[in-house]
Amino acid sequence: MIDLWPRLEPLLARVERPARYLDHEWGSTRKEGADFNYCMVYPDTYELGQPNQAVRILVNAVNATEHLAAERAFLPAVDLIDLMREEGVPMFSLESCAPLSEFDAIGITLPHELAATNVLEVLDLSGLPLRAVDRAQDDSIVLGGGPCVFNPEPYAPFFDAMLIGEGEESLPEALLCVRECRRAGATRQDILRSLAALPGCYVPSLYRVRDEEEAQRAGSWVEPVEPGVPERIEKRLFSGFSESSGWEPCIVPYTECVHDRLSVEVLRGCARGCRFCQAGMMYRPVRERSADNVVSSVLEGLADTGYDEVSLTSLSSTDHSQIADILTKLNHACDGKGVRISLPSQRLDSFGVDMAELVAGQKKGGLTFAPEAGTQRLRDVINKNVTEDDLFGAIDAAFKAGWRRCKLYFMIGLPTETDEDIKGIASLVQRAYDRAKAAVPPEHRGNVRVSASVALFVPKSQTPFQWDGQIPPEEALRRVNLLRNSVKYKAVDIHWHDPATSFVEAVMSRGGRQAADWVEAAWRRGARFDAWTELFLEDAWRRAASDVGIDPAEIAQAQWDTSRVMPWAHISTGVTTRYLALERKRAAAETTTPDCTFEKCTGCGACQALDCDNMLAGVRSTPSALAAAAGETAADVTPAQAALAAEVSAEVAAQAEVGDAPASEIAPAGAEAVGAPSSAAASPAAAEVLGNDSSAEAASDERPLPVSEGGAR
Amino acid sequence: MSEPQQVFRLRLTFAKQGRLAMLSHLEVARALERTVRRAGLPYAVSQGFSPHMLIAFGAALPVGVGGTHEIADVRLTHYVSADKALSALQEASVADLMVKDCRYIEPKAAAASVAFPVSTYRALLSCTPAVLPLPDEIHVVRKKKEKVLHPAEFLVGDFQLTGAVATFKLEAKPTGSLRPDLLLREAVDNYNLAASGEIVQGVTWVENAVAPEAMIAKKAERGLDLPCCDGDALRILNITRIAQE
Repeated sequence: MIDLWPRLEPLLARVERPARYLDHEWGSTRKEGADFNYCMVYPDTYELGQPNQAVRILVNAVNATEHLAAERAFLPAVDLIDLMREEGVPMFSLESCAPLSEFDAIGITLPHELAATNVLEVLDLSGLPLRAVDRAQDDSIVLGGGPCVFNPEPYAPFFDAMLIGEGEESLPEALLCVRECRRAGATRQDILRSLAALPGCYVPSLYRVRDEEEAQRAGSWVEPVEPGVPERIEKRLFSGFSESSGWEPCIVPYTECVHDRLSVEVLRGCARGCRFCQAGMMYRPVRERSADNVVSSVLEGLADTGYDEVSLTSLSSTDHSQIADILTKLNHACDGKGVRISLPSQRLDSFGVDMAELVAGQKKGGLTFAPEAGTQRLRDVINKNVTEDDLFGAIDAAFKAGWRRCKLYFMIGLPTETDEDIKGIASLVQRAYDRAKAAVPPEHRGNVRVSASVALFVPKSQTPFQWDGQIPPEEALRRVNLLRNSVKYKAVDIHWHDPATSFVEAVMSRGGRQAADWVEAAWRRGARFDAWTELFLEDAWRRAASDVGIDPAEIAQAQWDTSRVMPWAHISTGVTTRYLALERKRAAAETTTPDCTFEKCTGCGACQALDCDNMLAGVRSTPSALAAAAGETAADVTPAQAALAAEVSAEVAAQAEVGDAPASEIAPAGAEAVGAPSSAAASPAAAEVLGNDSSAEAASDERPLPVSEGGAR
Repeated sequence: MSEPQQVFRLRLTFAKQGRLAMLSHLEVARALERTVRRAGLPYAVSQGFSPHMLIAFGAALPVGVGGTHEIADVRLTHYVSADKALSALQEASVADLMVKDCRYIEPKAAAASVAFPVSTYRALLSCTPAVLPLPDEIHVVRKKKEKVLHPAEFLVGDFQLTGAVATFKLEAKPTGSLRPDLLLREAVDNYNLAASGEIVQGVTWVENAVAPEAMIAKKAERGLDLPCCDGDALRILNITRIAQE
């Protein structure tokens, strides 16, 4: 491969922070002896991408595979991009400083909805055609992956193939597949066909996009254009996660990054079941690494990297069944070495604060909690199983333990939200401030700071709220103003995010394949680095909409019934659409659903579909969980809630019955049920279908059950 | 802040070279700290609110300027032989930021940042200029205030130009110092202005020690050490601090 360094080096004297482009970090490797080169691309700058765990994990996984070698690439900052375009220097990998277009395959991770234009920036700067259909036989194969591929359509035309789910195993498999095909002299089209046959691999060009009417009738927006191409793609799961070591080689950057520390992933998945949360649905089932694994991984990682801080990462680290044990052991082992331990997500109760205190040492900066909504009613709607008592218990504990600052996260525009809920945020924050002040000695009261950060709700695909529209940006601003006017305390600060970027996020989250045209038009009008507030060009996105003739507001804001087939119906996280619809119904009834890692199975379907159970290292039980469970049974039960409870039981029963069947055999269950009367219970449908010919499996089971509020139950 | 009573001060000498010359002082400091941790040395930790390694660095180098003998002093709680420390540090270093030497110094010895006020720099230019017009004044903006620096006050001894190599010594003053890359960039800019026929004022002309007869060379034969020809801009290829005293 060409070494671009001699051409790049003179440019680096003219840009900010050249350390981002140098490679040569501790831990950077170049694998010798491989005959297939892969470049892992993060579509943003080094300081955001280098700490990304996916980049680290996937580069290691590819390098650990015979024949394959992996390098990293990050999108340069705009100052260097502009110089590179002037000088005709293409996008380069770090390790070999080679042009991306010389790699056999490149893989771009899609970490969030605002990275879409940067994907085009990467492809363009690499000299690769933006659209898969325009690529030549010998062009690099462009793969996509990451959280955003759970609705792949707005990105689909730009990728040759997209890997759905966890990539530890599927990425090396896909690369070996491409390698075999290339060695056999296969055409590009045949390579794509082979990729489409791999589990979890979506090849957009092998599907025809249906129109609205046809999609609703067929239960999916895309149709394979040739036989052998699956109608539905189920996510891949790395079932060896729990047993795998939490330590694996990592690169230690020179320049300061967003997370400049060692990361050890302690568990994957979260079953709390917040109804707005995509990650909570996407990474099921929950898999924990054992305390011994975590502790030895941290110590080995610290010794090998020289970091002075370690973060125990996951979606909810304080939920780990052995978290107290882990933190106590680490504190002991790191004593006197100036090493800090951090927990990225704070559980909202006094147990969470106890854990935070275990690792805080003397330095207590701020604590962040996310009640998400201001009233109990709305917290029940979103299934944030947290009460005011939990929050105030956490605040009391935190301020008594020595913290003086606390930040509270909220969302506005959640489904069913009223002005009362907005005023509820103000009330909650002010009362939190009162509690905080009361918990500290009088001479410290002046130091108490409580602030609230407010973001606009973005309906995410693959969640119970995927059918819910986002409120328009103007309405969001009205609600923010209502909130600001409702806060009477001068000591309480309110921060909010620009609703214009949240609007783009919503379109990207809910859009179909035509949203890709919008992305490309926006990029042609100069949009890039949309996640960078100072670089976001609202106008480019607005004009792009008229360029391609779509109404993004309709995509972001339309309110659908749960019977509607959404553009990502062909992609499955393992959680059934039926379950999402049920959860949406429970939201409307203000009924909560427990966390299956603390209590019984809720019937989401992930374990059965993916043939993997929750893998816990110990028993999860805490006083707050027990109290919450007790409170729930004692509460008054409305008829609607009782009906839902019956439906839950039926759902769980259905899952239990098909539990031992291979995942594919579950598929007909949903398909059958669609034809049944709307009030059909899931359980008989599933049972009935188990005896059926499995040739029906290709039918989309992800078609949601028509949900009838006045069902026969 | 009280520090541990028993401390050993280990002085590390390291190189900052190759493409890593483009690291900033802060980036080098962080990298060295991590090297010390990887080497497993018994480093001392401050006792304050936010405990950190007791390590101190010599005078900062600008981004883009390398160094062959850079200095960092780290405090250890136990004695480790300097040889052992050196081999552990080298194991933990990357090639272009390599620790080259270790020795213990007196606990009360002056800090590395003030012990060596005079730095010798060597720069490689893209071709051999007959003369280099050193600016008499350099205007810099610091904290939004313009400041005028006089290179003569910072230069120690003569500015030497030998072929395409410039060698000079700058002294750090308590009131501030002059960046070597800034001095050289202004000199090169002046040269290029003069070469394009403009009149350059307020400069001191430094003659090249290499005889000027080679100044009229054929383009085809030109290499790095050959004279600058008309139409070619003079450029700085690299700058390295080669000694501190």
